[in-house]
This record gives sequence, C-alpha cells and structure tokens, in this order.
Amino acid sequence: MTRVLLVDDHPMIGQALQMLLRETDYELLGRAKTAAEATRQIQSLKPDLILLDVHLPDSSGLDVLRRMTRGRSRPKVILLTAGMDESQLLTADELEPEGMVLKTSDPGLLMESMDAVVAGDRWVDPEIAERTRQAKQRAALAPPLTRRERELIELVRQGLRNRDIAAELGVTEGTVKVYLHAIFDKFRVENRTELALRAAELVSR
Amino acid sequence: MITLGRVMLVILFLVAVRLNRSELQPQIFGTYALLFVYAVAVIAVAAATWRNWWLDARIAVVMHAIDMAVFTAIVFSTNSSTSPFFLFFVLPLLSAAIRWGWRETALTAMSLVVLYMSAGLLVTGSGGFELERFVVRAGYLVILSLLLIWFGIHQRGTRLYVPFDVDLDLDHASNPLARALDFPVRATRAEGGALLLAHRDEDVVDGLTFAKGEQRAFTLDRPLVRADDCSTFLFDIRRNRALSRFPEGPFEFKSAAGLLDLDEAGGLGLTEGLVTQVQTGTHQGWLLLWGIRDLSTEYIEFGRELGRAAGTILDRGALLEAIGSGAAARTRLSLARDVHDSIVQFLAGAAFRVEAIKRAASDPKIGGELDELKRLLVEEQGEIRGFLLALRRDRELDLADAVAELRALAKRLSQQWAVDCSVTADSDDGAVPIRLQLDLQQMLREAVANAVRHGGAKRIDVGLAVANDQLQMRVADNGAGFPKANGISAATPWSLKERVERAHGSIRLDSEPGSTNILISLPLGGVAA
Repeated sequence: MTRVLLVDDHPMIGQALQMLLRETDYELLGRAKTAAEATRQIQSLKPDLILLDVHLPDSSGLDVLRRMTRGRSRPKVILLTAGMDESQLLTADELEPEGMVLKTSDPGLLMESMDAVVAGDRWVDPEIAERTRQAKQRAALAPPLTRRERELIELVRQGLRNRDIAAELGVTEGTVKVYLHAIFDKFRVENRTELALRAAELVSR
Repeated sequence: MITLGRVMLVILFLVAVRLNRSELQPQIFGTYALLFVYAVAVIAVAAATWRNWWLDARIAVVMHAIDMAVFTAIVFSTNSSTSPFFLFFVLPLLSAAIRWGWRETALTAMSLVVLYMSAGLLVTGSGGFELERFVVRAGYLVILSLLLIWFGIHQRGTRLYVPFDVDLDLDHASNPLARALDFPVRATRAEGGALLLAHRDEDVVDGLTFAKGEQRAFTLDRPLVRADDCSTFLFDIRRNRALSRFPEGPFEFKSAAGLLDLDEAGGLGLTEGLVTQVQTGTHQGWLLLWGIRDLSTEYIEFGRELGRAAGTILDRGALLEAIGSGAAARTRLSLARDVHDSIVQFLAGAAFRVEAIKRAASDPKIGGELDELKRLLVEEQGEIRGFLLALRRDRELDLADAVAELRALAKRLSQQWAVDCSVTADSDDGAVPIRLQLDLQQMLREAVANAVRHGGAKRIDVGLAVANDQLQMRVADNGAGFPKANGISAATPWSLKERVERAHGSIRLDSEPGSTNILISLPLGGVAA
C-alpha cells in the first residue's frame, strides 16, 4: 500500500480523490487544506506520496515543495494544478517534483501518473511539459539584464513603490515607470506583481 | 481698455478744469489747448486701435511716453487744490502695470515722480505754488507707485476672466479632448477652435476642430504651429502678423507665416485669432481659437491660462481613464480568480468523481457513458480556461494567438456537433482586444450550433481577415440554409445579431439551400474592447 497525503483546499477535489483511491493500492492518510497544515501532516504522517495543489490559501504548493526539497529526503510529490503561469512552470521545473498533473486533463491520467511515480518514473502532463519547454526557450532567448534593470527588479521584489524606488535609485518617478515598462516588454510580464514573482528567476541569470 | 480709459479721463479732465474757476487765468487757455489736442489725439488713437491689437501693441510705448508728458504739462498748468493731476498720474502707472511687468511699472513710477518733482521745482515761488500741497501730493505718488509695483510683482492671474462657471467634472462619459476644446471656445466666445495634440517626440498630430457648431476629428502629418520660442501668440493671417510676449516682458512682433503653416491653417479656416501651447503628462500640442470678438493684447496672457486649463482637463480625463482601467483590470482578475477557485475546481472534482464511478462500475455500457460525460467535463474546463486566460490578460491578444484559440475551439466544436469545422486566416499580423476575442469565440459557437441544428450542415469553413481596422469573420456552411423571414431574405439569428451589435459590429447573411454565408465585421479600434 502506498500512503498518500492530499494537499488541496477544495472539498470537491478531496471527496473525488477519496472515491478515486478507494479499493486501489493507495491509502489516503489525510487531507491538508493549507500549506501550514501540509508541513505539519508531512512530518507527522510521513506519507510515501503527496498530491500537492499549487494554489493554496496561505501560500503556494511550490513553497511547500521548496521547503521539502531543502531537507535530506522527502516523499515523492505529484503537483496537481488547474493552471500555472510561466514563472510557476519554471519554478516547478527547477524543483523537480516526480509528477505534474493538470486537474483539467483526463482524470484517468492521475492514476496513471501515480502508478508511474510509485514505480520510480517521472510523469509530467504533456501540456505542462510543452508549456515548460516553451517557457525555458523564451527565458533562454531573453536578453540579459542590465545593472540598472537588475537593481530595479530587486527593489520591485522588495515591494517598494515607484516613488520609493525613484528615491532609492536617485531618478524621477517617471524614469522608473519607463524602466519598468521596458522590463515588462523585455521579459513578457504583465505587471509588477508578476515581475516580483519572477524576480528570483530573472535576477539569477 | 487702456485707450478707452484715456479718452474718458481726458474728457473728465476737460470738464474738471472748466468747472474749477480757481485755476490761474493766464494758464487756463494753454491748458484748454493742451487738453483739446490731447483729447483729439487719444480719440483718434482709440478709433485706430479699435479691434486692432497689432497697432495697439505697436504704439503702446509711444502713447505711454505721451501720457507721461501730458501728466507733466498738467502739473505745470493746474496746481490748485482741485487739480485732478492724480488721475493723470494713475493712468500711465496702471497702463504699465497692466501691459508690462513690475520693472516697467517701477520705471514709469520713477519717471513720473522725477517729472513731478522737476515741475514742482520749476514753479516754486510762483503765485499759485503751495509747498505743503506739493509735498502731500509727492507722498501720494510715492505710496501709489509702491502699491502698483507690488501689484506688478505679485499679480499672476489673468486680466480676463472666464464668463461662466467652469465645469471640469469629468465623471460622465465624455470625450476629454472635446471638453478640453469646448471650454476655451466657450470662455472666449470664439467662433471656432482646434486642439492639436501629438505624443511627445512624435510628428503625427491628432486634431479636433470645432466650428459652426460641428466637431470634426482630423490628423496632420506635419506640424501646423512652428513656434519653438513662444508659447502663446495672436495671429492675423491676412496681414501676416503675429504678436507674442514673454511673461512679464515686452511684446514681440513676428510674421504669421513664421509661426504657422499657412496652407494647413487655411484648410481649417483660420484668419485671425489666438494660439497657445497645451501640455499634458504624455502629450503636447496647441490650442487654436479664431473669430474672437474684441481680441486684444490681454488675450496673450489669457491664452496661457486657457492652454493650462485645457491641459488640466486632458490630464484629469487621462487620470479618470487610468482609474477606470485599473478598476476594470482588478474586477477582471477578481472574476478570473473566483471562477478558477469555484467552477474550475468543481468541474475538476466532478470529473475525478466520474472517473472513480467509472472504475467502480462493472457494466461496460455505463463505462462508455461515463467516459463521454468525463470528456464533456474536460472540454468544458478547457473552454473556461480559455476564458480565464483572456480575463487575466491585460493587453491585446496577438492575432496569431487568437486564430490558434479559434482553431482549437473549432476542433472541439467539430467533435461536439459531429461536423467538419475549420478556421483559416488571411494574416497573422495584428492584435485583437481581449473582449473581441471572447465575442468571436461565442459567435463561432453560435454560428456552428445554428448551422448544424437548423441547416444540418456537415462542413463549416471559418475565414478571418483584417482590413480597415475591422476584423471580418466569414462563416460558410453547406447546410439547408435559413428560412426566409419575409419571403425574400433569410432572417439573421437574433442572438448572433444581438451579440454582433453589442460589439459595435455588423452582420450580413446570404442563405440558400446548400450554402449559407455569414459575414461579421467587428471594429478593432478599442470600441469592441
């Protein structure tokens, strides 16, 4: 029997997976609805496999995975997602979970992926694999950051407003706006929130 | 205004001297003669400069000097307690304060005080001279001079005022460009006006003109105004004259041809009027007003204020638009999040449950039914994901991406309706507003459903093309066609028609047995967004 922990806050998904895993080789140990609960239950229940939702109310499933990856050993993880943006795809790829499944794909694929992961293989939904490949290609082709852009992204990541960034860099607020829009265009991000989310990836180039 | 004041003053003074019998008899005839000549001269000047701002500005300095000379002569000739010398002192001083800046006012005041002192000294010892009165009057002159110099330094307001309450409330859905033009036209009661605006560092100018009660938008590919060194000026194209002045500075006389493209100006119907610069956070341009009654040199300063007001109206309009866009973006993102957290998760859960039931079911027939149900649920999720993607996008969608999404939709519709549906596009260049893309998807769904349900079509070809800022979608099918509404032409499906009209587009239907063509045209220029 493979001991499974579900980390997902949506009751419909919880009930459905409970039904799906009934009378299979998988034992559903419990369900965590938040990232904090997940961390506690992983330590206490010591599951063999975690079905981990990316969007959690208090944090991201990717953060939970990142914390687990820092430890000596971690259980196998299948990311469950209804959709990830480009930066999340790149982060997920970097963290190397054993599986990635789209909730919006054929539900039969979940069982297929669980079997594959338990058998020691890696299983990634074809759509996620393709989108990750495209995201990596775009990231590789993106021009390198200038020193000023790097500084600005770092300040956006810290949550500073344009006025504060302008004061920090010794330029006008208008100049900050111009720089920011150039960065948005350069790295195909829509807004400063997305820029802040992708900051680590961009600055580490 | 100054000229008329001068005329009234000299007439009043003539009357005052006539009534004052205490004036010295030997000088009274000389005073009459001086005042009479002066009165004739100022009336002639008033007539010559009536609605002639150019001449008014040209002779301003000369008339100023004459006013001061007359003041000095009056001091000589009238020295009694009833002498209205004070009025004559005020005239050049106020003229300087109104026309020029504080420096000219100070210079005028100093000159007048020196002239008064000199005249006083010359008449000292004469029979009519009273030292006490002379000292008191000299004190008045100095105090008044200081007051007017202060006025010249600190006055920043315009000399003309808007004759109605300015309504800068932009809450209602109005075009800020039209309001920015309407305000100065009404303030000056001008017959016509134009607002020319270009993005900073761009040559192409977007314009809006108002004349004879009608507004018209136009575009210029070269600047109409070429005034690099002055921000406001009056012009008279027929006489090729232009007049500007630095703030608080002297007049500058120029040629209209040097400041305006006369061909373009002629095209707008400009003859005589006012031009002033308009600056906003993102744009710069010019405000032109013509057919202003009583156009005078005071309008140069007033024009500056009008230009600033027009810029403020445009900035406020842009700010409100940005706030509206921000609110709309927040609403879109919030809606996308809600749909993702509720409907998408619910459908995913439902699909997992169907999968669980299918695995538990032993009857293969039920298994087949559940597989079909699962497929429909997955397809529905795909549709909603496309919708969410569109909601989260802040910008326009590349036409290539829009076509790819429509192709994917056509593939799903083919399976759903058991029909061969394909999408082709003439070009991949361009962009489609997100709202329009959602409309297109829904229109395609309705067109396919109609073709299959009502016409029993087996093949549907969808073509996309972009022309003249319009996106055209042609849907052709091989079905039985639509029934005739009035025995002559087929009725356009009302739901499709309603959707097209809501997107400010048009729809045309040609239907006959075996062939139906629907041509939908939708504007790309933001209207549909």
